[in-house]
Amino acid sequence: MKLAFSGTSGIVIMLAYGFLMLAIGIITYLKNKGIHQSNKEFYLGGGKIGVFVLFFTFFATQYSGNTIVGYAPTAYRMGFFWLQSITFFILIVIGYLLFAPRLYVLSKKYNFITPSDFMEQRFKNKGVTILASLLMLYGLCNYLLEQIVAIGQGVSGLTGGTVPYQAAVLFFVTIMVIYGWLGGMRSVAYTDTMQGIALLFGVIILLIGSIIYFGGLKSATEYTAVVSPEKLGVPDFNGVVSWFSMLILVTIGAAIYPHAIQRIYAAGSELSLKRSLTWMAWAPFITSGFVFIIGIIGIQAFPGLTEGESEQLVGMMANHIASQNGFFYWAMILLFGGIIAAIVSTADSVLLTLSSVISKDIYGRYLNKEASDEKQILVGKVTGVILIIGLLIMAWYPPATLYRIFILKFELLIQVAPAFILGLYWKNMHSKAVFIGMAVGTVVASYMAFTGLKPFGIASGLWGLFINTILCVLLSFLFKQTQEERVRVEKVLS
Amino acid sequence: MKKIKEPIKNWKIWIVLITLYVFSVPWYFPTGSFNPIIFGVPYWAIVIMGVSLAISITLTFILKYCWQMADEEEYREDQE
Repeated sequence: MKLAFSGTSGIVIMLAYGFLMLAIGIITYLKNKGIHQSNKEFYLGGGKIGVFVLFFTFFATQYSGNTIVGYAPTAYRMGFFWLQSITFFILIVIGYLLFAPRLYVLSKKYNFITPSDFMEQRFKNKGVTILASLLMLYGLCNYLLEQIVAIGQGVSGLTGGTVPYQAAVLFFVTIMVIYGWLGGMRSVAYTDTMQGIALLFGVIILLIGSIIYFGGLKSATEYTAVVSPEKLGVPDFNGVVSWFSMLILVTIGAAIYPHAIQRIYAAGSELSLKRSLTWMAWAPFITSGFVFIIGIIGIQAFPGLTEGESEQLVGMMANHIASQNGFFYWAMILLFGGIIAAIVSTADSVLLTLSSVISKDIYGRYLNKEASDEKQILVGKVTGVILIIGLLIMAWYPPATLYRIFILKFELLIQVAPAFILGLYWKNMHSKAVFIGMAVGTVVASYMAFTGLKPFGIASGLWGLFINTILCVLLSFLFKQTQEERVRVEKVLS
Repeated sequence: MKKIKEPIKNWKIWIVLITLYVFSVPWYFPTGSFNPIIFGVPYWAIVIMGVSLAISITLTFILKYCWQMADEEEYREDQE
C-alpha cells in the first residue's frame, strides 16, 4: 500500500510546526527578557494571562494528541460505551468548581507558584509538603513519559514509519525544551494556543473527510448493528460501574493535575478564569465528541482490526482521505501536524510544572533556602533537562497501547485531592491526618495498580482516594488541633 | 464591593449537578438494548448526550452567576 504521508510533505509540515513553535518561543523571549529573575514571571507568566490564551492553555492540559490518536481507536473497540469521553471532559469543570474559586483568591493573596505552596501555607507540615511534592513529581514524570511516547508513535504511525519514532521524539523534545527554557509559562501558553487551534482544525477536517469518504454516522451504526451489536447496546452492570468510576476519577483527577492548578494561579483575573472554564465546559462536544464519531465511522471503514491494529486507525483513515484529492491531502497533512502539536503542548505544560516543583518545592524550600529566584529557576530548568534525558532513555522502546498508561498517572496525582478540596474549607483538618491519608492512599492505589486488583470494577486510584479521604476525616477528629494552629489556619483561609 | 458568592456553599447547585451526574451514566436502560436508532445514534446515547448538554448549560450558568469571590479592583491596586 502506498502511504500518502510517506513522501516529503509529512516531514515538511513536521519541520514547519516545529520551527513555528520555536519562533514563538524566541519572540516571547525577546519581548520578555526580565522573566528569568522571578518565579512568578517565569512559571506563571506574571499571573496575568488573559481569557483566550488561558482557555487554550487549560485546553492543552486536558486534550492531547492522544485525544485523537488514542480515543478514536477506543471508540472503535468499545462503541457507544466510549460516549463517556464527552461527559468526563465536561465534568472536569465540576472538579474545578470544588476548589478553584477559593484557591484563586488565596493564590493571589499569598503569591502561590506551585501546588505545594498551598500545602505549605495551609498545613505548615514538612511531611505533607514533601510527600505531595514527590507524588506530583512522580505523576508528572509518568505523564511526560506518556507524552514523549505519544509524540514518537504519532509521527511514525502517521508517516507510515518514514520518520522513525526516535527521530521524531528527539526533534520535538529538543524544540520543546528550548522554547520552555526561553520563555517559561508565556512561551508555553502562546504555543498552547497555536497548538490548540491546529488540533481543533485537524479534528473538524478529519470528521468532514470521514463523513464524505467513509459514509456518515448513520450508515456506520447500521453496519455495526449487524456486525457487532454489542457496540451499540446499553452496557451491563460491570460496564455501568466502570463508567461511573471513570467519570469520578477524571472529574477529580484531571482538575487536580499540578499543571492545571498552576493555570488557576496564572489567570489574570477571576473573570478570565470563569470565562475560560465556561469554554472548557463546551469544548468536549467538538473535541472528544467529534473524535468519538470518527471512531464509530472507523468500525465500518476498517472492519475487524485487532487491538494492536486499531491503534493505527486514525493514520489509516487519514491516509485514505488524503489520497482522494489535493485539498484533503493538505488538510490531512495539517491534521497530522495538529496532532503532534497537541501532544507537544501537553508535554510542555507538564515539563514546566515539573521544573517549578523542583525549583521551588525541592530546591528553594529545602536544599538552598537562601537561593534567589533566578538561581531556583536555573536549577529547575537544568534538572528538568536531566529528567527529560532520563525519560528519553526509558521511552526509547515504546510500550504497547496508550490507554493503559493513561490510567496510571491519575492514581497518584489524585491522592493530593483531599488536602486541596477538604483543606480549603475544613479548618479542623489536621496536618498529620492529611499526611497519613495521603501516604496510605498512595500505597493502596499503587499496590492495587501493580497487582491489577480492581474490586467491583472500580479503578485502583479511586480506592486509594476513598481510603485517603476516610483517614483524613477520621484522624482529624482524633488528633486535636492546638489553639494556636487553629487561629493560624483561620487566618489563612479567611 | 459586590456580594461574595462561592459555588461550593450553594447547595442548590450541587443537588442539580449530582442529579445530572447520576443520570449521565446509562444504568436506567435495559442492558444490551439499542433500538430505536435515531440519526445513527442509539436512543439511550441520545439521552446521555442530552444529560451532558444539560451539565454544560448548568455549568455555564453557575460560572456566570454563582461565583463572585475576588475583589478585582483591590488586586489591581495592589499590583500598581
